[in-house]
Amino acid sequence: MKFINLVLKSAKRSKRRTLLTVMSVAIAVFLFASLRAVLDGFNAGAEASSSTRIVTIRSTSLIFSMPTSHAEAIKSTPGVQDITWANWFGGIYKDPQNFFANFAVEPESYLRMYPEIVLTPEERKAFLDDRTACIVGDGLAKRFGFKVGDKITLQVGIPIYGTQDYDFTVRGIYTSAGAAVDNQSMMFHWKYVDERSLVKGQVGWYVMQVAHPDQATQVSMAIDQKFANSPNETKTDTEKAFQSSFVSMFGNLNLLLGSIALAVVITTLFVAGNTMAMSVRERTTEIAVMRTLGFPSLTIFLLIAGEGLIMSIVGGIVGVTLARVVVNPDVIPTGGFIPVFGVNNTNLVTALALSALIGALAGLIPATMASRLKIVDALRRVA
Amino acid sequence: MGLIGSYNLRSMIVRKATAAMTAGGIAMVVAVFVMTLAIAQGFRATLVASGSPGNAIVLRKGATAETVSAVLRPDVPIIESLPQVARGADGRPLASSELVVIIALPRQTDNQPANVPVRGVSPKAFEVRESLAMVDGRRFAPGTREINVGRLALGRFKGLALGSDVKFGAASWKVVGVFTADDAAFESELWGDVDLMMPAFQRDGYQSMTVKLADPSMFDSFRAAIEGDQRLYLKPQREQDYYAEQSQAMTTVIRVFGTFVTLILSIGAVFGAMNTMYAAVAYRTREIGTLRALGFSRIRIVTAFLAESIALALVGGVIGCILALPVHGLSTGTTNFTSFSEVAFKFRITPALMAGGLIFSAVMGAVGGLLPAIRAARIPVARALREI
Repeated sequence: MKFINLVLKSAKRSKRRTLLTVMSVAIAVFLFASLRAVLDGFNAGAEASSSTRIVTIRSTSLIFSMPTSHAEAIKSTPGVQDITWANWFGGIYKDPQNFFANFAVEPESYLRMYPEIVLTPEERKAFLDDRTACIVGDGLAKRFGFKVGDKITLQVGIPIYGTQDYDFTVRGIYTSAGAAVDNQSMMFHWKYVDERSLVKGQVGWYVMQVAHPDQATQVSMAIDQKFANSPNETKTDTEKAFQSSFVSMFGNLNLLLGSIALAVVITTLFVAGNTMAMSVRERTTEIAVMRTLGFPSLTIFLLIAGEGLIMSIVGGIVGVTLARVVVNPDVIPTGGFIPVFGVNNTNLVTALALSALIGALAGLIPATMASRLKIVDALRRVA
Repeated sequence: MGLIGSYNLRSMIVRKATAAMTAGGIAMVVAVFVMTLAIAQGFRATLVASGSPGNAIVLRKGATAETVSAVLRPDVPIIESLPQVARGADGRPLASSELVVIIALPRQTDNQPANVPVRGVSPKAFEVRESLAMVDGRRFAPGTREINVGRLALGRFKGLALGSDVKFGAASWKVVGVFTADDAAFESELWGDVDLMMPAFQRDGYQSMTVKLADPSMFDSFRAAIEGDQRLYLKPQREQDYYAEQSQAMTTVIRVFGTFVTLILSIGAVFGAMNTMYAAVAYRTREIGTLRALGFSRIRIVTAFLAESIALALVGGVIGCILALPVHGLSTGTTNFTSFSEVAFKFRITPALMAGGLIFSAVMGAVGGLLPAIRAARIPVARALREI
C-alpha cells in the first residue's frame, strides 16, 4: 500500500498522456456497455417471458390467421387454464415512419393473462366498457403525447381490414411490470376490428396459461395434435420461443455486436498497451536506479502493472457513468424497436471488469520489460 | 521534402513496436467501419438488383410492400391490354400477376423459424425477370405442385434441397429446380404457380403485377393510363424505385449504427495516435531543434509530422481493409421489415467503400497528429538544442 503514492506520481508524470489513455479506455468501456445494453434489450422480452404461457400460431406462418372456433377446442385441452387471443393490426399512425406495435386483443382475458400490463382500476373499467377504446404504453404515450381521452386514428395497413380509417379513444395509459410486455404498444378491442374486417372471426395468435412450466411441452403438443391435418394446422410453443423468433429476425445480432465489441477491446488494448510501454521506456534510467537501490524486480513489476490497472479502472468508471447517462430512452429514442433500453447493473459490472482486464493485459508486457531490465545497460543508456 | 520525408519515414521504422500498435488500433477501427457498411451495401445491392429498369410493378394505392397489397382479378386483363406492356414471341403480354405469402421455415444456422417469402407467379414471370437463371433442375411446370427455390434460400433454410417435398398451405410441393438472380432478393424466395397457390392459401386475388414495358421510356404513359382508369385503385412504380425504397429504412439504420459506433471508436484510436505522436515529438526534440537550426521552417516541421502521422494511420487503414476483406461475399440475412420477410444477402465490400475506409484512417491520422505537430514546430530552437 505504501507504493500507491509512487504509482499515482508516475501516472501524473505526463498528465496529458494519462488523460488520453484514461479517455480511450473510457470510450471503449462506454461502447462496450452500450452494445451489451442494446443486445440485452433485444433479448429482454424473451428472457422475461412467462414460462407458464404458451402461444399458438398457424403452422404455415404468423401472417396467417385461424378461426375463433379454435378457442373452444384449445380450451378443452387438459392443462389449459386460461386462454386469450390477439391480432396484429398493423395500423399506420399518420405516416409509416411512426411505426409502433398495435394489435387487437380480447380485452378482458388479455389483461387477466398479462398482469404485466398495469392499469388503475378506473382505467381498466373504462377500457373494457368502451368498444372503441384503446390503451397505450407510457413510452408510446410520451413519444406522441397521447393523453387519456385523446382520439387516435389509424390508417389500415393490411387490406383485410378494409380501407376506412379506424378511430380509437385512449382510455388508459399502462405501465409495464416486466419486460415480457413493452411499453411502446397500443391495444384495442378485437371485436371492434372484427366487425369491420372483410373476413370475420379471424385470430392471429392464441395465448394459453398452463399451471406449471413442465406442462408446457405436453400441452403444446396436445393442442397441435388437435388441428393436425385440418386446413388450419397450428404450431404451439412457449412464449419465450415465440418472442425469441422475433429477435432472430434481425439476423445474427449476437455475432455482429459481439465482433464489434471484440474490436473495441482489441483497439483499446493496442492504445493502452502502447502508452504503458512508452512510459516505461521513458523511465528506463529511473527504474534502473530503483533496482540499484535494492527494489526487487517483483515490486517494479507490480508498480508498473498497478499503474496500468489504476488508469484503466478510472477510465472504466468514467465510461460506465457515461453509458448510464446516455443509453436511456429519454436521450436516444428507439421507437419501440428495442423493448428495454438501458444499461443495467450486470452490464456495469461486466464493463468494469473488462476495463480491469484491459489494464492488466496492457500493463503486462511493459511491466515484464521493466522488471527484467539489466541494470548496467539501463544506467549506461541515455534516454 | 526529400531529407525531411525520409527522416520521418525512418523514425517511424525505428519505433516499430509503437508504430505497429498505433497502426493496429486504427486498423481495428477501419475494419469495423468497412464491415458494418459492407452489410448496408450488401443489403441494398440485393434489393436494388431485384428491380429491372425496364419493368414496372403495380400495387394497391398506399401499399408499401407486396405483402400488404391487393390486385383484384378483374384488374389483370385491363393492365395486360395496355399498349405499353411488351409482348412475347407468342404475342402474349409479358406480365406476371403474383401472390406473395410468408411461410415459416427453420434456418440452417440456428433452427429458428424464419419468414420465407413464397411467390406465386404467372408463366411469363421468367421472361419478365430476365436475370433469373436455373442452375440446377428445371422450371416448375405450370398447373403442378412444383416449386423452384432461390439459391440463397437453399443455403439459408432447411428442407429445400432439390427433390424434397415442402409442406405449406395445406399441401405438399416438390422442389424441381434451383435458380439464381444476380444475388437479388428473389434468390431468398420460393416460386410456384400462382393459380395453385391462391387456393392453397385461401386467397382470391393477386397482390402485385409486374410487367415488362415495351420500352423503359414508356413508364410515364403507363402510369398515366393506370391512374386515369376509374376502375383501378392501383399505383404503378418503376420496379427499381420500389426495391430501392424497400431497402431504405434498413440501410439507413445499419449506416447510422455503423457510423455511430466507428466514430466513437475512432476517438479512442485518435487518442492513441496522439499519444504516439506526442511521444515521437518528445523523443526527437533535439533533432527538431537541429532541423530548425538548419533552416527548416516551422510550417515544414508541422507538415512533416502531420505527414508522418497520416502515413502511420494509412498503414493502419490498409491493414484494416485487408482484415475486413474476408467477409466479402459471406452470406447472411436479415428481415426486410417493410415486407416482413427474411432476405439473404452477401457482405459487399466495394472499392469505394475501401477508399472510404482509407480516407477515414487518414482523417484519424491528421486529427491525432495535428496537435503534436504544432507542438514540434513551436519548440524554441535554443532550448531544444540544449536538451539531452
